[in-house]
Amino acid sequence: MSGEKEFVQHLQHLKIGSIEDLLQQIGEPGARIICGGTDLLVKMRSGAISPERLLDISEIDALRAIEEKDGRIEIGAAVTESEILASELVTVCLPLLRTALVHLGSLQIRNRGTLGGNLVNASPAADSAVPLLLYNAELILQRAGSERSIPVEEFFRGPGQTALASGEFLRTVSIPIPREGFDPFFHKVGRRRALAIAIASLGALLWVEGGVVAEARLAAGSVAPTAIRLSRTENLLTGEKITPELIAQARELAAQEVSPITDIRASAGYRREVIGDLVERFLNEVVG
Amino acid sequence: MQIRIIVNGRPVEREIEADMRLLDLLRDGLHLTGTKEGCGEGECGACTVLLDGQAVNSCLILAAQVDGKEILTVEGISKGNTLHPIQQAFVEEGAVQCGFCTPGFIVSTYALLKSNPAPSDQEITSALTGNLCRCTGYVKIVDAVHHAAKLMHQKEGRSRRAL
Repeated sequence: MSGEKEFVQHLQHLKIGSIEDLLQQIGEPGARIICGGTDLLVKMRSGAISPERLLDISEIDALRAIEEKDGRIEIGAAVTESEILASELVTVCLPLLRTALVHLGSLQIRNRGTLGGNLVNASPAADSAVPLLLYNAELILQRAGSERSIPVEEFFRGPGQTALASGEFLRTVSIPIPREGFDPFFHKVGRRRALAIAIASLGALLWVEGGVVAEARLAAGSVAPTAIRLSRTENLLTGEKITPELIAQARELAAQEVSPITDIRASAGYRREVIGDLVERFLNEVVG
Repeated sequence: MQIRIIVNGRPVEREIEADMRLLDLLRDGLHLTGTKEGCGEGECGACTVLLDGQAVNSCLILAAQVDGKEILTVEGISKGNTLHPIQQAFVEEGAVQCGFCTPGFIVSTYALLKSNPAPSDQEITSALTGNLCRCTGYVKIVDAVHHAAKLMHQKEGRSRRAL
């Protein structure tokens, strides 16, 4: 199509067979990991990035499993969004992850796009970020000779920016299965249901015990440089009985706590309103 | 680099550049021009093909990534000049106006009906959210998918009786 830059000449595509092979190649200059390619190809064609060697990890078996281990669900970075949606384990143990991914992109995108790719792309609007923040997911990052585990909150550093060091890759998303008895909530506001980049999204998990909030987790997407937990609003709710006054305060605080920008999709003021509104809607649902 | 794939049931071996998209291999390399390029960034679905049975955007996949895999395009759905029941249904329901988006819709519908032979309205719109139509309108397209499901069901019944 006209106006688009040509791909870099002499691009190499290497199908990587194992994590060991990946670790050998990942430090090479100009190397870049590709899996589904749904974000990467768009960026390559727009000229935003121009890798020289694509390391294709889509067929590394060790990155393609969903497993239950010691009370946690572990999802390999190369598992596709469609595979997550089809997983019984995810449906039963992590319903909000499922809810958030159902409307990610389109069927065609979900058949190729992966959980690892959605995270590494680090869009403030990444659909998987809000549920993973709520579930206190840990990301296992590996490099030659070492690995580390960091909370998903610390992984996002800004739009398109992550905590990944050079020569390091995201191997596994490890999610503790939450204890039972919570009220779940996820709502994404976009222009349309499919293929919409969120204007704002809110997810929540709330445990009410003996009439008061025992634990509150709230996370929001598209309203700050990264998807974020609304920790001040969580603190406000914890230990309290949910009353109309508290709901009004929570609405106000959540709207203050976010730091949205005005862009082509919506204004900053509108996004604050939407987050406040979604918090109110959620808490009203909880009290029924 | 050399790739070997199966396209519409036929083995294909090609020397390709690593930056070639699957869409370009199909259209320019194999002259299968039924698959269209609309947006080129995975928003419109005009380039939809099946990759190992799953609907994907061929504009967002490098040809190098599909080495060893099986591709089905709209050309592989019809039998020569005989229309597939899905194509017949789109014609009969008036679900083809300019026709540019149609191959993508046919391929997505094929994937849907293979796994769900009698989908509801909601299941149809959900399966087709990745395909945009700007002139025919979705009402006739959804009607056509229902009609196709019936035609395929009848056809299956006939071939069972013939046995």
